[in-house]
Amino acid sequence: MFLRLALSCAMLTGGLGAAQTAPAAQASHAMPAARVSAAPAARTPQDTAVAQASQGTAVAQAVRAPAAPCSAPYRIDRTLPNGARWQLCWEMRNIEGLTLTKVVYTPKGNRPVSVLRSAALAQIHVPYDSGSPRYHDIGALGSTAIPLLAADCPGGERREQSVCVTTRARGHAYLKSGYEEPSVSAQGSDLVVFAAFQVGWYTYLAEWAFSDDGAITPRVGATGSLAGSTTTAGHGWPIGVGSATFEESHSHNVFWRLDFDIQGKSGDVVEQYDFSGSRTAKRKLKRTTFTREAKALNRRTRWWRVVDRGVRNADGHPVSWELNNSDSSQYRGPAGEAFTRADVYVTGYRSCERLASVNPAPRCAGSVDRYVNGERLTDPVLWVNVGYHHVPRDEDADPMPTHWQGFRVTPRDVTAKNPH
Amino acid sequence: MGRQRIVMALAGAGAVAVVGAALLLPGGQGSQAAEAAPREPVPGDPLTGAEIARAGDIASATSRAHMAAGRVNLLYVERDDGKDAEERRRADAYLYDYATDRLIVRTVDLGRGTIVKESVTRGVQPPPSKAEEVRAAELLLADPAYGGGVREAYARAAGRQLRSVADLGLRGLIFTPGQEGGARRCAAHRCVRLFVRLPGSTWLDTSRIVVDLSAKKIYTLEW
Ligand SMILES: [Cu+2]
Repeated sequence: MFLRLALSCAMLTGGLGAAQTAPAAQASHAMPAARVSAAPAARTPQDTAVAQASQGTAVAQAVRAPAAPCSAPYRIDRTLPNGARWQLCWEMRNIEGLTLTKVVYTPKGNRPVSVLRSAALAQIHVPYDSGSPRYHDIGALGSTAIPLLAADCPGGERREQSVCVTTRARGHAYLKSGYEEPSVSAQGSDLVVFAAFQVGWYTYLAEWAFSDDGAITPRVGATGSLAGSTTTAGHGWPIGVGSATFEESHSHNVFWRLDFDIQGKSGDVVEQYDFSGSRTAKRKLKRTTFTREAKALNRRTRWWRVVDRGVRNADGHPVSWELNNSDSSQYRGPAGEAFTRADVYVTGYRSCERLASVNPAPRCAGSVDRYVNGERLTDPVLWVNVGYHHVPRDEDADPMPTHWQGFRVTPRDVTAKNPH
Repeated sequence: MGRQRIVMALAGAGAVAVVGAALLLPGGQGSQAAEAAPREPVPGDPLTGAEIARAGDIASATSRAHMAAGRVNLLYVERDDGKDAEERRRADAYLYDYATDRLIVRTVDLGRGTIVKESVTRGVQPPPSKAEEVRAAELLLADPAYGGGVREAYARAAGRQLRSVADLGLRGLIFTPGQEGGARRCAAHRCVRLFVRLPGSTWLDTSRIVVDLSAKKIYTLEW
């Protein structure tokens, strides 16, 4: 055990020293070739060959950093207090609003791993409990971005008025009691990128938290004002004086589109994990690999991951990101709203497939349920549907307190151990 | 319920209103445009203001007559972020022809200054543009049944008469008849559901009103 620990520490140090170099150069330059295949973010075996071949230029490449994929106002490059680094670009698109691209994570002492090529909201579907109205709240979201005040971006910087980039505490990263020595603990932090959009009565906060442990938490907060649409007792809740008027209950079914590209688009595979055994002592892991486009439903212990077997950590395990912790109300709409009938969709990348419903592109299917049509997966895109059933209460008026909904994306085997 | 139903939805005052009011005013395509000094964009950057203008010009070249007549509108220009064209600067210009109800998307290669792809289709409705929100509100104001109600509600909320659509905070979403009854013509037409915000953080209840931009008509949903 001790030996093994010492070994990985040495490796981490090696990685740290070379963290500023280009990945290919680094592989041959900073580490013995035998370790290349086991180093985080190394693609095997092709990239190993490339790395060795390019040894001659390694030093030159090590001197200057690779060009950023976007210019300064759109570039986010933040090293958090524990040494974890996140790099990405943002864009305020007309339709999807805040869009994050080229997301790269560098665990402390390790080499960079590219995670997401693109991530954005893909719909906010708001059906009211009486059956009407039924809004698809992603219109031209970009043009509804609210200029943020300094107070709206505490401790951070505002980019082009409407995007906030800041750092936020996230509580204990870990706490472990000592044997004879004092306990060890650390406070974690998040890089937070967010924008606010005014859609009718509602203000939507679109937030992305990138944690110093490699987790990504996308969430949407709904605030602003209630719609003020009244209904009968069966579809609402009395929020005015007395119980004459009933504010109508409704759902916010939020969809996100995540184009994972772990060290490039090739090699990404989506797996679903289940644990069989109910009212039994044993549970058994069951892995389902999606070879074709798929629709999947939430289950209590079910989770998914995007894994690239060509990219290994120092233990030789394939690098992956896990999708979990969705706390969805799992709204299922009528037949005409089939896009509400699954919680996760896995589709093959197509640039025209942008929104989960009311897709704005010509010569393309209209909703995410139709993007799933049996194609063999080579470059998977994940669509996550998280619903929140909003039953109004007196406290909602006014301004309405923010109610949040989202999910988590956590690293699984990106590093061989906790890279704290 | 019918056409009389314009009810004020009282939402109370809030800090949000202060921020929200200004940005709901109609205006140009500001959000996507880089506002900094001119600079050579790199492939992952949003389109610059100059690029948006140029892409719009190139994409509109063959539609000028229809555009002048108000039959075709340039909705907006969106950066083409497709994986197959990562190193190129390309822009998708969305145009809509209200007479034939066709969506035209022209992809402009900004490096070459030419249209490299055109897709024309019916029945696909991208979100309404700012100009369309204004037009929809103008149609609403001109409507004999609803126009008066909007003016009255505005006068009550603002303490003065409505001068123009610019006084209203507007936000539009596409309406397509699916699960909601009524306005069947919107299956083929370009139809908008408006949110109308008044001073003092109040909204009109316009959830049953649909504006048909193709037929220049107002429909009332029955539910
Ligand atoms: Cu709500």
